[in-house]
Amino acid sequence: MNKADLPFLSAAALGELIRKQEISPVEATAAYLGRIDAVDGKLHSYITVCRDEAMQAARAAEQAIAHGEWRGPLHGVPYAVKDQFWTKGIRTTGGSRLLADFIPGEDATVVARLHAAGAILLGKLNMSEFATGNSVDHPFGTPHNPWDLERNAGTSSSGSGAATAAFLCATSLGEDTGGSIRNPANNCGLVGLRPTWGLVSRYGMMGAGWSMDIGGPMARSVEDCALTLQAIAGYDPRDPYTTRQSIPDYRAGLTGRIEGVRLGIVKEAMDADFVHPQVKAAMSKAVADMKELGVSVDQVSIPLMTSAAAVTRAIIGVESASLHHNWLRTRLHEYDHNVQIDFLTGAIMPAQLYYKAQKIRALTRQQVLAALKKVDVLVLSSSSEPAPLLPKEAGLKSKDEARQRMSGRRSLTGVFNLANVPALSVPCGFVSVEGKELPIGLQLAGRPFEDGLLLRVAHAYEQATLWHTRRPPI
Amino acid sequence: MADLTQNEVKSLGRAVGVELEEPLLTEVTYNLNALRELLDDVNPPELDHVEPLPIIAPHERISHE
Repeated sequence: MNKADLPFLSAAALGELIRKQEISPVEATAAYLGRIDAVDGKLHSYITVCRDEAMQAARAAEQAIAHGEWRGPLHGVPYAVKDQFWTKGIRTTGGSRLLADFIPGEDATVVARLHAAGAILLGKLNMSEFATGNSVDHPFGTPHNPWDLERNAGTSSSGSGAATAAFLCATSLGEDTGGSIRNPANNCGLVGLRPTWGLVSRYGMMGAGWSMDIGGPMARSVEDCALTLQAIAGYDPRDPYTTRQSIPDYRAGLTGRIEGVRLGIVKEAMDADFVHPQVKAAMSKAVADMKELGVSVDQVSIPLMTSAAAVTRAIIGVESASLHHNWLRTRLHEYDHNVQIDFLTGAIMPAQLYYKAQKIRALTRQQVLAALKKVDVLVLSSSSEPAPLLPKEAGLKSKDEARQRMSGRRSLTGVFNLANVPALSVPCGFVSVEGKELPIGLQLAGRPFEDGLLLRVAHAYEQATLWHTRRPPI
Repeated sequence: MADLTQNEVKSLGRAVGVELEEPLLTEVTYNLNALRELLDDVNPPELDHVEPLPIIAPHERISHE
């Protein structure tokens, strides 16, 4: 195999070739580093590339495998993580100049687990400042979408989206508080899973909104997502809210069989006038494709879905502001301008407004769980549109503009972080915009801790379609 | 629901130790009023009968309790 082709393999395929010692982790890592050098100047998906550390880890993996100490399907496989996760001895910026020189003394749990699985850390990925999703100023370079460099890679796990889609890592981690894995997965044509809250440890992950924050996999295939989730999921005594349930074999669950699964199309999403007509058409086609695979389809209603963006904003605003309360007083103007607006709004939020938002949240969860009694998996689009153009300026010009930012597509993802159920985006087509073909995603959501079912349904759909085989023109 | 004025928003800032200056004062005023308006429109009938608890899996003990 031509070494330059190595980055285009799936993580699963690469891991298998490494296990059989047909490819060395050193070759794979060098190939990815070479591609990063060739391509990332256009994308700015990486903040820090850990060149020396990666090659050292690759040599160690090569030796271990040669001595029969194979650790599993990710052993020797190069990956990258959103710069929101601590990495021991490697700067971790949160996408902010305020932490430009912060070097953690330990790994986040998810990074430690990937290390234990033998995966090779290539580097730290770019992101919206402190995972807010609205930042325009990126101190380490603005991430660009590999499908169209003028467009947004999605927020806030922008670098995870861009790097994974552009084959600059075999798999990656993002983090999702209000949609920050699913939105870049939509925009970049990837599979991105927001796990059930409590399935994956938050230890060592910079918080955005503690009650909704969770890290999760972003990959080019459902199988790669499953492998990555397998490595990071499970109880962590350092995150007291992690589940003690045993973790199933997610990859073994990808049987391709989804007969009898009951899908529920979310009425409010299909009726929404802000969803692009081509996106709605793609949803309908995706559902029809899944019916061919044996699922039954019904319609469900989640009325509070339409307010999910505003409720999410109220809750995250307060929780984020409380994390930054000292710096808001002493270093305010070092934040991105939009982040300043959001954090200050959260800082002065009237208590009764926050309290009401939390009550609506409780009711939203009731509605979502009620829908999931009627069906097994909820279906809707991951976003209202494909990737928009990159924003040119920060600021708010009117209350109406503020209202728009707290409604629309953000409700499509926000409803599931409010309910703390798992939700996944899988590619389901392309939309033509100004002569460019841009990917869009199908969103699936399920009951708490039934992440495996989402992966199984997404995998069956993926294997019955060709969307995941297309490559961005970079 | 009437919008908060910029002076009122400035006072809210002072209450938490933040001095809001332009252009942020105008923009935060827009943002907060938008959020107030959006949430004011959401009044499901069960709202007075639900507790605003963060979501914790009810069937599992939290290790520090």
